[in-house]
Amino acid sequence: MVDPSHVSPLTSYLDDIFAPEVIADPHAWYRALREADPIHWNERYQVWFLTRYDDVVWMIRNNELFSSAVIKNDPRPPYPPIDPGDMHLFEPARQFRSEMLVEQDRPEHLEHRKVMRGFFTPRAMEAWRPFIRHAVKELLDQVGSKGRMNLHAELAAPLPVRIIVEMMGVPPEDREILRDLADKLLYLNRAEPYRLQPLTQGIEGLMEYVRPKVEARLREPQKDFISVLTNGEKIGAMTRHQVMVNTALLLFAGHETTMNLICNGMLAFIRNPGQWALFKSDPDKWADSAAEECLRYDPPVKSTQRIAAQDVERNGKLFKQGDRIRWVISAANRDPEIFPNPDGFDIARSPNPHIAFGEGVHHCLGVSLARIEGQEVFKAMAERFPALRLDTDQLEYQPSVQFRSLKALPVTW
Amino acid sequence: MARKLLITVDHSKCVGNGTCLTIATHVFEHNWDRQSVVVNPEGDPPELILEAADNCPVSAISVKDAETGETLFNSVDRRQ
Repeated sequence: MVDPSHVSPLTSYLDDIFAPEVIADPHAWYRALREADPIHWNERYQVWFLTRYDDVVWMIRNNELFSSAVIKNDPRPPYPPIDPGDMHLFEPARQFRSEMLVEQDRPEHLEHRKVMRGFFTPRAMEAWRPFIRHAVKELLDQVGSKGRMNLHAELAAPLPVRIIVEMMGVPPEDREILRDLADKLLYLNRAEPYRLQPLTQGIEGLMEYVRPKVEARLREPQKDFISVLTNGEKIGAMTRHQVMVNTALLLFAGHETTMNLICNGMLAFIRNPGQWALFKSDPDKWADSAAEECLRYDPPVKSTQRIAAQDVERNGKLFKQGDRIRWVISAANRDPEIFPNPDGFDIARSPNPHIAFGEGVHHCLGVSLARIEGQEVFKAMAERFPALRLDTDQLEYQPSVQFRSLKALPVTW
Repeated sequence: MARKLLITVDHSKCVGNGTCLTIATHVFEHNWDRQSVVVNPEGDPPELILEAADNCPVSAISVKDAETGETLFNSVDRRQ
């Protein structure tokens, strides 16, 4: 037990994960946490925080010890709290979420991953590169002559939806519908007390949208992602509900993460003109390692969660079965034990064993797609807008403990 | 007789996803750090080993003909 007389100002600072200054600059806060108490019990939100690289990698590779069925296995109410009047919406949202691939443990997780993995292999995704490059070009053609844009709204948000719509095998005319639904699904990981309202609309709207598409592909399979999932139903690996939920997962998981990679990466370039100059000197040469450094330096996902599946000890701290544990990617990615000059943005960094995509059995299924999207966007921006600069001195982030999401990124050139 | 393969796992890339263990079940195992290692290069048919390499999410596995040195699985990963 923590003796209240020993609760220092540092501890109270370290426990306020939603403080505006922490949302604005989480890296300073993570550094303080990693240096003061790398395996930290956050009394306020009743959750552990892991911030050292070695501890995080150890935890996420040991999937038997730490469950990913976070929402299913956590009897506590969500944090931060939701509006009491919306509590009736919590159970359906929980049902929806607990069927997603990312929230499952083995053996179900492996069976579902087997259904989907062939679609996302590095080679299969490489075949999408020309489509992605063309989609970036089309979006930039629309803003090219304006001299300024909100990079978030005009490139980072529409691009992933365009690609996912194509992968799902639904008509391009449905982009706006799906973008609206994707925006609502993003409330899954937000902090606003009213978040269950838009989230429920997103879930219901998407289920309604997907249902006839799923039925059509069960009758007549295509070469798209929904058909991959309906095949999973045919072979008995998935239920109909899981097919629909995982279609939603594609839209959700590929959306905000990609937006953040693009926005956080471009912001890092703008704030590090020397690195932008180096990148522009040979975008083809630097695209791959630069995308990796963007993923390390300011990753799309700051932290996510596991639940201890049994009592486990690590460096003198005891995780009790059922304890919530957040593993902080953004902190591990700047651990000075692993990364020299960790707070420096260095597109030539090598090796760069960042963990932006996680590790272990839950390592991001869309990893190759995300890499290609980042590489193609950064190259296109360097080629078309070499004089890019920030068009605001006020940047705001979504109040999320999970995602590092800019609300807007106004730029000019 | 099936040709002998030289299978290597690049531990600077391997993220312990375990996909290879679920495809070529007799060839790959996880070590103490939960990274894949080759325990028996002849444990499964070459097709399964190539499928494991192709499905590795980070292209950490390379496969060559042990006698001729011919590359049988060429990673698409262009990262340095």
